[in-house]
Formats: sequence, C-alpha cells, structure tokens
Amino acid sequence: MKSYIAKNLVNALEVLNKDECEIVAGGTDMLIQNRSHTGMSIGYKTNVLYISLIKELDYIKEDSHYIYIGATTKLESILKNKITPIILKKIIHEMASPAIRHTATLIGNIANASPAGDSIVGLYALNAKVRCQCINGERIVPLHKFIRGVRIIDLKFNEMITEVIIPKNDFSSIAFKKVAPRKSDAISKMSFVGLLKIEDDLLLDLRIALGAVYITVVRNKDIESKYIGKNIKELKENIDNILKDYEPLIKPIDDQRSNKEYRKKVALNLIKDFLLNV
Amino acid sequence: MKDISKSINKVDNDEKISGSAKYIADFVMDGMLYAMTKRSTISKGEIVKIDYPQLPDGYYIINHKDVQGKNVIKVIFEDWPVFTDKKISYLYEPIMLVIGPDKNILTQLLDSIQITYKEETPLFDWTDSVIDYHFDKGKGNRIFDQADKVIEHTYHTGYQEQAYIEPQGFIGYPEGDKTTLIGSIQCPYYVKNAVKQAIGEKDENVRVIQSTVGGAFGGKEEYPSLIGCQLAVAVKKIKKPIKLIFEREEDMSVTTKRHPSKTVFKAAIKDRKIIGLKAHVSIDAGATIGLSGVVLSRALLAVSGAYTVDHLDVSGNVFRTNTVPNGAFRGFGAPQMFFAVDMFVEHVAKELNQDPLEFRKKMLVKQGDRTSTNGLFRDPVLMPEMIEKAIKESNYLKKIEDYSKKGNYKGIGMSLFYHGCGFTGSGEKDVIKAKVKLKKDKNKKVYILVAAVDMGQGVKTTFRKLISHMLDIDIKDVIYHNPDTDFVPDSGPTVASRTMMIVGGLLARAAKEMKKRWNEEEFIVMKEYEQPDYIEYDEKHFIGDAYPAYSWGVNIVEVEVDPVTYQVDLKKAWSVYDAGKAIDERVVLGQADGGLAQGLGYGYLEVMNHKNGKIMQKNMTDYIIPTAMDLCDMDTFLFDNPYAYGPYGAKGVGELTLIGGAPAIAKAIENAIGKNVFKIPVTPEYIMELINHD
Repeated sequence: MKSYIAKNLVNALEVLNKDECEIVAGGTDMLIQNRSHTGMSIGYKTNVLYISLIKELDYIKEDSHYIYIGATTKLESILKNKITPIILKKIIHEMASPAIRHTATLIGNIANASPAGDSIVGLYALNAKVRCQCINGERIVPLHKFIRGVRIIDLKFNEMITEVIIPKNDFSSIAFKKVAPRKSDAISKMSFVGLLKIEDDLLLDLRIALGAVYITVVRNKDIESKYIGKNIKELKENIDNILKDYEPLIKPIDDQRSNKEYRKKVALNLIKDFLLNV
Repeated sequence: MKDISKSINKVDNDEKISGSAKYIADFVMDGMLYAMTKRSTISKGEIVKIDYPQLPDGYYIINHKDVQGKNVIKVIFEDWPVFTDKKISYLYEPIMLVIGPDKNILTQLLDSIQITYKEETPLFDWTDSVIDYHFDKGKGNRIFDQADKVIEHTYHTGYQEQAYIEPQGFIGYPEGDKTTLIGSIQCPYYVKNAVKQAIGEKDENVRVIQSTVGGAFGGKEEYPSLIGCQLAVAVKKIKKPIKLIFEREEDMSVTTKRHPSKTVFKAAIKDRKIIGLKAHVSIDAGATIGLSGVVLSRALLAVSGAYTVDHLDVSGNVFRTNTVPNGAFRGFGAPQMFFAVDMFVEHVAKELNQDPLEFRKKMLVKQGDRTSTNGLFRDPVLMPEMIEKAIKESNYLKKIEDYSKKGNYKGIGMSLFYHGCGFTGSGEKDVIKAKVKLKKDKNKKVYILVAAVDMGQGVKTTFRKLISHMLDIDIKDVIYHNPDTDFVPDSGPTVASRTMMIVGGLLARAAKEMKKRWNEEEFIVMKEYEQPDYIEYDEKHFIGDAYPAYSWGVNIVEVEVDPVTYQVDLKKAWSVYDAGKAIDERVVLGQADGGLAQGLGYGYLEVMNHKNGKIMQKNMTDYIIPTAMDLCDMDTFLFDNPYAYGPYGAKGVGELTLIGGAPAIAKAIENAIGKNVFKIPVTPEYIMELINHD
C-alpha cells in the first residue's frame, strides 16, 4: 500500500490520475474503518491520499446566490463562520464532539455516505451540490444524485470532491433533531431536518429530509410541492395526509442501535411535530 | 481527634492526572513478545482439524497441550478450560495463543490458521438448568391458601457491560524458576491460585503483581484468571516476557458481563396487604457456570427487597447457554433482584389502589426483623429517617402528585434497597480466611501488607488514612504499594463491598495492636479473619445470617420523557445512604456518583444483546453508557450508623450505590408515561411500545 500526501490541489489530482487511492481528509471515519491493533500502523487496504494539507481547499466563501465550502475545511470552522446556514450550524453542533469537529470535514461526511450521516440530511434539505474535479476538468452534481446508496458515491477513480455548494435561501422555520441513543458522542438512530418558508400566511417552501430511515436520505420534492401554496390552516388540516404520503418512503432497518418500528414512528412524529408547531 | 470522614486528597491524584501512573499497556520489557488469541468462529460443536501455517522463527503457538497442570480455571465452579481441547461451547472461545515479536505477522498467522469444525445447533433458550435452588421462609407456598387475591408479574433485566476504562491485560515473564505476571486485576490471589493449578507449580514459583488498574467493576474479578493462566502457560514454555492485552472490541465480545435475568413474582394478598411472596429467578450463565451460583444466591437472598415479608417461597435456576460466559459485576445479582422486587411491590400497591409510598413504608425492614433466610437484621435500620430526608430534599410528595396528572410527561421515582456487605454466607470464614499484615520499620514507616487492589475506588487513600488516623502518624509515613503476592498475605479478593469493612477491619485491629507496641523498633502484626460468633449460615439450606451487616439506600430520580421521540431526560437525582461511617467522605461521594450513574445507565440506556451468540454492541460507539451530558445533578446525603466490626463503623459502599438506580429511574418513567415498566433498560423503543399499546 502506498500513501501520498498532497500539498496542493494539482498535486492531488495528479496522484489520483496515476494511482487509485482512498482520500483521507480529517480521517475520523477512515481511521476507524481501518483500525488495527494498538501499536500497529493503520490497516488501510488500499492506497491513500492525504489531502488535509491542501490550504487552497480550506475556505468558506459566498457570492450572491451560493455558499461554497472547501474539501479540507474543518467542521469547527464551518460552525464558527457567520455565513454558514443556521440549520447546518445546528447539525454540526450536535453531530460531533469538539475533538471531532476540529478534525473532521463536511465533505468527508458526504464521501463516507453513511445513512446515519447527520450533515447529509441537512445538505439534502438545502439542495446542496458537490463539485468533483479531476486533472481534465470538473463537474457539479446535486448531492442526492451523487450519493447512490449505503457508502456508495458517484466518484470516478481519478476524481475528488473539492467543494460543496449550498444555494442561499431564507426560511421562516427550521428544525433539526438528531435522535441518538444519548445526548452526545453517539451515532443517530435517525435524524430529521425540516425547513419551511411562510409569507402572508402562505407556504412558499417546504423541505423535509430524514436520515437513517432508508439506504440514503429520504427527501421527496413531489410531496413537498403538493402542499406548497397552501395557507397555514390548510397545511395543518393536511398533516395526516402528509404523514400518509411519507409513510411508504420510510423503510428503516433493525440494527444494534434501534429497530424499524421505532425509527418509522419517530420519523412520522417528528414531521407531525414540525408542522404542528408552524 | 478529628472526624475521620473529613476528606483528604486522593493519594494517587497526581500520578493519575499527570499521566505518570503505569498501566499494564505502559510496561515494556527487553525482548518482549506479544500474544494474540485464536478464537472459535462457531457457537457450538467440535474442532475436527486444525491446519497450521509454517511458523517463522521466534513465533509460537500455545494451546491445551501445553497446559501442564489442570486444564481448568480455578473459580467457584470449575468448568472453564484454559484452552479448549476440542469442544466449542460459545462463539470466540479461546483455542490457542499465537505469540511472537511482530503484531503484523501475528495477525497474518491468526488469519492463516484453518480450523475445521463439526458444528452443532447452539442452545440460546434457557432450558439447560445447571443449578437449582429453593428455600422457604415461614409458611412458604402454603401461605397462598390464605390469600384472597394473587397478583403475578414477570420482570426482565438485560446484559450489562462493565465498560472499564482499561481493557483486560497482563505481561508475564520468567524469574528463574518462577513465573511472574503483572496485570490489571482485582484479585491477585485468585490469579495466583488459578495459575498454580494450571501450570502445576509450587506456591513459591508463581508471583502475581497488580499494575495500576483503570477500572474493573467486577469485570476483573474472575476473568483475569483465564488469560493469566493462558499467559503463564506460554511464559513457562517460551521463557520470555510476553504481553497479552485485549483491544476494546475483543474485550467486549469475549469477557464476562452481568447475567441477564427473568424473575416471576407472585404475591399472596389478604386484606389489601402482601402476606407472602413466591418468586422464581432465572439467570443466564452463558457457556460456563463459574460463579453464577453465587450470583443467583445474592439475588434470591434479596427477594423481599428492603421489606419484611414473613412467608416466602423462593427458587431459582442458573441456565447454561452457548453464549459468552457471564460473571461478576458490581452488585452481583442484587441489581437484578432489587429492580424486580421494588417494581413488583410498587405495582402491587397500585393494583390494590393503595398509595405506593405508604404501602412500602409499612413493609420496611425494622431492626430485629427476620431476613429472607431467617437471619436477623441486628443493627439499627435508619430507612424511615433516610426516606424522610430524601422526600424533603426532592420535594417528592408535591412532585409525584403533580406528575401523576396525565399528559405532562414528567415523572419521579423512588427506590429503596440494601446491600449485604462482604461475601455471601460463610465465604469469609470457610473460603477466603483473610490475613493482613502491618509492618513497622526502623524509620517508623508503616507498611500495609494486603492484597486489596485500588481500581479507582480509592482504597489506597482510605487504607492509608485509616492507619495514619489510628496510629496518629502522618499519612506520608504509611506505605501501601500495589499488591505483590511475594510480599503480601492473602487478604482476599477486592470484591463484594468487603474491602473496607473486612480487610479494613482487620487492619484496624492490627493497628490497635501496633499502637500498643509502638515502642518496639521493628515488627509485624498479623491478623486473621474471625467471624462474629453470632453469625451462622447454612449455605445448603439457605438458613441463617447470609451477611454480617447491611448497607442501606434511597434513590429518588426525576425525569422528563419526550412524547415525540420517547427519549428520557434525567432532571435530577437525590440519594441517601447508610454505609456505616465514611472513612473519607469524598471517596464515598465518588462511589455514590459513579455507582448511581452506572445504575441509571443499566436502567435506561445500556442496551446489550446477542444475536446467535454474537454480542451486537461490541464497542463504545454502540454500547451506550451515559456521558456527562446525559447525567444530572446528583445530591447525596450520608447517614452515620456505625457497625461494630467495621473500622470506625464502616460498612460496604461500592456496590450499594449502583443497586437503586435502575428501579428509581424505571419508576420515574412509569410516573411520566402512566404505564407500568417490566423490563430494563427502559429504552425509547420500549417506552414507545408501552405508550402505543394499551
């Protein structure tokens, strides 16, 4: 196994172009997935490319329509930056302990593509996109198309994710709930993000995203658009219908952390609770 | 003389905070090899064939053929082989050690050893009873003839993992003819005696030394004897230093846990009172019996909880299954029973439309009452005053009234409990026979020579404090090294809340004599355990005094349940304990906070289960113990109630503080959701089930 340390983006893309590598940014998941006995080196089963020294990818910036977060930007920097969407701040604050926040990256959480990845739920709701670059060019892919399944992403062997792009939006009501077995340092049993915008009693935007209740994050724009344009009273009258719409999409599993009955029931409770509190 | 309870700094604060304390992982020796364990991949069957790879130079395999003594671990019931010869009775049963200098090569060797099995259907149901106990008090089952009503409920408790900070580990090395082990252990002499038997050596040829221990909670009572024997077999053959330390996942997958239990209770009711109880307790031993019989005994003895019931019919079984062996854990059977009995009495009161608190108070044990085995509660019982204190501090009466109104999802619960101090039954007299020595040297330094282990509970501090206090000398002149069996007598294992009361009691007697002879320049005082003459116990028939003394406790816990996610939010906890007399108040409060945290975790958070014999929560990511964020303020109040044979009146405290957590939080949750709870942990999944199924 070879390991490379990239000093800049070009350097990283060159390495990827000639050698297939797993990319390590913060490493907080990679190290655990490849752990070995105390005193032994990390048990990587592939070549690795360390990118954390690439300074040019450590940024949060904005223009009039988008926020851009680079691949080596730590969660802690994102949490502390004033241009970060509030919902994302809420998520980062709850998803990771201080030590992890100072090491892990947002893009690492995307690339890991765990169904229990908390930030992904927020990024789905925010209509985030990822920029993938290779030596020959780049492409921008909506996140929900980029993540294909449990730990499966649409990344070619010579590409790396360099940036996540988040459209700017205002919401009048936001909610995040990490349903974890305890209050800190725990992997979610399921997670919920609700965003909506109301103006003059009319629902202008509605976004609901659910984590760890299916192989990827559950978000359905058809259901959302059915209720956009309704007034608050109509929205509340339709809560049962909305729950019925979501019910078939929520197909969680039993595992060592929880069971499917609980995950499903709580997912529906959280949608209901979010809408009732509008 | 100043009050001994007044706190001093723990003597090991500096070395533990600075990181200079030497744990077993910190020991490195010249030419040291590493050992890794090859384990079974099936739960039941036989080994048919083993194909070994070519071993590189300097690499070794150690298996049952290398065991020169008896291939069985010396514990209460001897059915646990050092290495299996061919029979496999649980998943990940140890088959051999692979030993050598490079862990990378060791892991490759482990992977390339091919084992062919003849697999059999494993048994996971509780059908293979290996121990069957029964005893009656008063009229036993016949009391039910007088009942006008019978109430029956069944209670379940799950596994609990000790989750010590430092995993199991030893380093072993030869010293001439001697095989020496340094380990993270609770009981140096258990290991020594087990190793003697396994390698077939004379007493002077086995030496066991305790390293600084990073937590144990019972998990390092008998399990270290197993890997200590394996390592000793290897050291004796290879004659080089060898280190065997578990990784966290290995540790959690293969080491002993708290016995899951099922308790069926029946109450004979007459005139809206409990006139008799019938209880049957089942516990899951896992693949070996080990000390499960004693765990069952401790559970059965506590059958009527903190209450006196004149007529009892008590029985229980230990079941063997093809799962990881279960063993010692702080509380040792008592947490299972106190959960069941304290819930049951509460449930009975509710079903009889009686105020549960008044119902329970009327049944409380009083001084002079008979225990479940017709022993005597000889000493004063302060429970009424302790309950009053807990009620006052927590504003319990007002809160329970408010919270009992439907739909506010707030709850408060109170548990009442005791713990029998020291070994169960005649263990101290017949089995342990503790000895302690106190030595004074020419420089007026006093050495505490006992085998008691400081595993974080603070005995290094409290023993030194005790002796300095009694001899009226500076604590710096009292020396207490980690036990080394070459230098200290067998004062027994560091278990059963016996350390201060029994070992400390003997030390106090020794110190008394030393004080009288203080003018002598250099001398040793030795003391041996003498059972108080009033204590008599018939172990076979469960008759008499099972314990010399009892510590008592009241826990009140307040919670709020989230009606959307069914998660439990701990608001506050209040505890009142009678542990005789605190030798150091802060040390006792440390036990109080830690014990309650562990008891609460057992009650609402700590899920562990197996799937086809495989532990599903095998690391600290999936096995959820409470963090500081989950816990709440805990107020603790101590009542002095000195016990004649404990030093300054001290009784046991280590286990007591864990026992009441689970029933208190389970009752608080009941109060919050208006449904009865019958099993722990009370997870959000279970709360959802209770709320949604009428």
